Parts: sequence; C-alpha cells; structure tokens
Amino acid sequence: MIFSRELWIEIGHTVIANPMRTALTGLSVGLGIFILVVMQGLGFGLQNGVQQDFGDEASNSLWIRTNRTTLPFRGRQANRSIELRNADKEILTEKLFETPLHSARRMLWGSTIQAENEEGRFAVVGVNEDYDQLESIPLVSGRWLHQEDVAQSAKVCVIGQTIVDDLFKKKNPIGEYIRLRNVTFRVIGTFSRSGSRWTNSMALIPITTLQRVFEGADQVGRVIVSTGERSVEEASAMASMADGALRARHAVHPDDQRAVRVEDNNEQFAMYQRIFMGIRLFIWVIGGFTLFAGAIGVANIMSIVVKERTVEIGVRKALGATSGSIVTLIVVEAIALTSISGILGMIAGVLTLEFVAPFAEHDYFSNPAVNLNVTLTALGVLVLSGALSGLAPALRAVRIRPIEALRYE
Amino acid sequence: MLSLRSIEKSYPLAGGQLPVLKGIDLIIEQGEMVAIMGSSGSGKSTLLNVLGLLDNFDAGSYHLDEVDMSELSERQSARYRSRFLGFVFQSFNLIAFKSALENVALPLFYQKIPRRERQKRALAMLERMGIADRAHHLPSELSGGQKQRVAMARALITTPRVILADEPTGALDSVTSNEVMDVLREVNSTGITVIIVTHEADIAARCDRTIRLKDGRIIEDGNSKVVIEPTAHGYTPDAS
Repeated sequence: MIFSRELWIEIGHTVIANPMRTALTGLSVGLGIFILVVMQGLGFGLQNGVQQDFGDEASNSLWIRTNRTTLPFRGRQANRSIELRNADKEILTEKLFETPLHSARRMLWGSTIQAENEEGRFAVVGVNEDYDQLESIPLVSGRWLHQEDVAQSAKVCVIGQTIVDDLFKKKNPIGEYIRLRNVTFRVIGTFSRSGSRWTNSMALIPITTLQRVFEGADQVGRVIVSTGERSVEEASAMASMADGALRARHAVHPDDQRAVRVEDNNEQFAMYQRIFMGIRLFIWVIGGFTLFAGAIGVANIMSIVVKERTVEIGVRKALGATSGSIVTLIVVEAIALTSISGILGMIAGVLTLEFVAPFAEHDYFSNPAVNLNVTLTALGVLVLSGALSGLAPALRAVRIRPIEALRYE
Repeated sequence: MLSLRSIEKSYPLAGGQLPVLKGIDLIIEQGEMVAIMGSSGSGKSTLLNVLGLLDNFDAGSYHLDEVDMSELSERQSARYRSRFLGFVFQSFNLIAFKSALENVALPLFYQKIPRRERQKRALAMLERMGIADRAHHLPSELSGGQKQRVAMARALITTPRVILADEPTGALDSVTSNEVMDVLREVNSTGITVIIVTHEADIAARCDRTIRLKDGRIIEDGNSKVVIEPTAHGYTPDAS
C-alpha cells in the first residue's frame, strides 16, 4: 500500500492543503539537519585548516631558530645577535642525536627572478635535500634537490607554481635557465601546495649554493630535524638537548626565550589533537541536542496534527476507511514530510558551506566538508522519530470508535 | 433489510453506566423512508449510529441483510460502511482542505476506484445535486445548503443500500431543508432505504414511517401521518 500512487496523491494533497503544518514540521526537521550539517562542516573545516597547516611541517619535527638575546649572560650584553651556522647544524644532527631527516633553511626575501622576458620578486630559499619531506611539499614535475646538488653547490632550483605561472605562463620550465638575483640557475623541478601562495612563491636552491653564491658566509637561518619514531616524551627530551646545546655553544641565558627557540611540533600536534577531540565532542554534543530537539519538535507537531485530524479520521472511517489505511496515511505522510524537509535542510547546509567556504578560507580553516554518513544517519533518526511520533497518536486515534472521533473536540 | 433485536447500549458514567438504548426491537425493510424522532437524550442518534456501524452495542443482535453485524471485525465493519451505508450529518463533516469534488470522491478512494473514475463519478453526482459549478470550491466557500448537498452527494456516490441522516436539516433554513428533503425523497424513490433522525415534525411528515423514542425505548412506530399527530401520551411532534 505504501507504494500506491493513490496514497501518495492523497498525501501530497494533504501536505499542500495544510501549508502551516507542513512548514512547521519541515522547519523543525530541516533546521535540525541544517544546523548539524553546518556545525559538522565548520568543525571539519577547522580541523582541516589546522591539519593542513601542520601538513606544511611534519608533525614529528623540531624547528630550531635563533634571534637576538634579551638577557646578558656570562659577561655578554643583551641584544647580541645569535646566528645559526653550519657547525651548529652539524653538532645537532651528527653529534647530539640521531635523526633520519634534517635540513637547514635560509631565506632571501624579495629576490628578483628573471626568465626570458619575464621577471618578478620572490623568495629564494636555501635548503638541504630532505627539506621536501620535512615540509611535505608535493612535487609537480621534474625532480627534487639531490644530496649531490647540495654537496656540489649546484646552481639548480626547484620553483613553486606561482613562479611557474608568472614567469613561464603555459611553457614547461623544466630544463630552462632562470636568473636568481642575477645568477643563472637551471630549473630541475616544480612544486605546488594547494592554497598556499606563500610556499608557491619560493625558489628552492641548495643551502650550500645560497651560502657560497649570495652570502659568502655559513649562516643557516633555521635548522629543521625530524624526531623520527620517537614518542612525544622522547621528542621533548630531544628538543631540550638541542636547546641546551645551543645555549651552551652561544652563551645564552637559560631564561632567554627569544635567543634560542626550539619548537617541538610533536607537542604542538598532540595539543592540537586534544583540542580537536574536544571540538569534535562539542560538535557531537551540540549536534545531538539539535537532533533531539528536532525529533521532539517533530513528535510534538505530529501529535498535534493527529489530534487536529481526529474528526477527519472519524469521517474517513464512516466513509469506509480501515484503521490500517488511516495509520498508513498518517505515518507515510510523516515519513514523507520529514524526509523531504530533512533532505532540503541537508542541501541548504551543504550549499551554505559551499558558499561560505571560499570566504572563510584561512590558515586555520579549510574545506569544511560534510560527513555524508553522519548526516544521513541523523536524517534517518529524524525520519524514524517522525514516523514513530505519527504512529503512536495515529494508533490511539484509530482505536476509538468512529462516532467518538466524529464528536471529538 | 435491517433487523434489530433487543438492542441495549449504555455509556460509561462516573460511578456507573448510563443506559441509552433499552431493548430496541426494530425491522426496517429495504426501500423504506423512516424518521426517528424523540427528545434530546431519547437515544435516537445512538440508534442511528448503531445502525450505521459507527458505534457498537452491548447486547442484542443487529442483522443487515441477514448478516450478523455483531460478529464483524473492524475491517469488515469498514467494508460494510463503505459498500452498504451512506451518512449525512447535521454538521456536514466535510473535510475542510478538500474541494467539494474531492470530498464527494473520497468514499470511492476506499473502494479502490481509480482516481479518474472517482472524479468522473463525483462530478456526475454533483451535477445531479445541482452544484457542479461549485465542484472545485472548498467547504468554507459553500453555503449551508450547498454543503449539505455535497454531503449527500458523498453519501450517495457509492450507491449504498441505506442512507443514514442525522438531523440533515438541523443547520438549514426551511427552504433549504425542503430542498434537502426533496433530494432524499428522490433518492428513496430509487429503492434506497433512508433513515432520518430529526426532531422536526415537518421533516418526519415527509417520511413514510416514523419511530418515536423515549428514554431509550420505542414508544411509537407507524405511519408518519399517524405518529406525528398529538397522541394520548402527550407528546408533541416537535418535542426536542
């Protein structure tokens, strides 16, 4: 009977003829699903954003950098510049601890890069061969820097997509020669990181080349080391070792927070994970309550609807309707109403996220996707609650004799 | 033929039962036009509801075409109401959100008649009632007389054996009441049994037979012209 065309025509007629009832039920369900979808999307967006941000840097890495001192120490004045050099990197990576991946990183901002008739200002960055893994940079074409390139101070470069687009337009840059700060380099590879114009505006060259050709010195800017398979506690101990060693080497006060900084991504990542667990829990709790409120709303409306229709039920019974046909009519109507409005709420939620996403794109917010399984489950819960909440009063109503239903006020 | 034997019916009341029908014996032959009269609380509407299978009874037997109605399941009762009985109510009881045409066609929905056929037959019935031009109007857009004509069209659409009308003219003026009675007479002339509950002597006078109830018992049953005359019992025809 549920697949009877006649039944659906009858339901369609009832639904259209009662716009207020339809709107209220629809709003209750649709809004519940809409809020759930949007909240879920925002939660995912936040998570994606931070994870993407972390994706730039391996979560199992230490970032080591130095700056001017803020405190005097051992006869040395404050405001002394501390520079990380090749020797520091060697001590850290070859003597102090074992590390599977490590790289220096030194940036030359606002460097002019020329290719044939095009030129632009970008960042030239000196790195080691492991840098792509430490920063998780996706290669698009060509190859990455090899150990030999670094060892031989080769004049080769891997350029970001923005540079490719600006200087080469549609042309394949692999094998072409470009001029970085008036020095000719051969392009050996290109990379592109989705949504990161900053990263894509870099030309990566061997650190040794940068030091020899452009600086004539051995500063390395930053040192990035992987903590490998170490636990959070072991990585934290590794960070303390690095911090202690650099402070000792450069005579930096133990309380000077600026002069030597070792950022432990393991710890930060673990902290973010905890925060995300909290956010996810929060979203689930809010979503659950929203769903519950929606289900209560549907139950309430269906209960009122059936009461309102008691006389109509009496009339229908007088005209030959069986209890089963009336219960089917009410329950299928409830299912149809909740399903349609739930799907509309879901579509509205997804469209809202789609519309909002480009405007809300941020370092810590990206791609607010929707979990379809969760949404469909939520919709199922609401449809079921609609059906059950229609069923209970419908069964009550059809159990009374037709004449009582006709006299109902 | 409708046959009632010793029908008893009580309604539960705080602290006991209120007897409404006290041993009703009644036979109504096919094609009769019968008025049931009585004062308020006499049990006339309850009797009509029992006859129409809208209400059950506590004791006695009710046979419709020699089928025992007390043995019917809920589904069978619905089938009998659908196939054999048509109802006309004082307050019309039209479904507010359905047009006149859809109201009239509704009983055919429960007989699983296809929609196109339902609509065709409903329109023909509205034409017969003289209100085809109001077919697509909602009940709220119709006058009292028009509503009652729609209700009668709905009762007749299934060509029932019996029409049960509970105060069909109670909410109408005298001119419209006469029109409604004209229709019921015409219906009766086709062989359909018509049973009308009324407290109006004029309405009862247009029926062939009148049954008068008092306190749940039949106190008079006979030709309308005789029964509605003032009697030695002191009842007046329009007692209510």
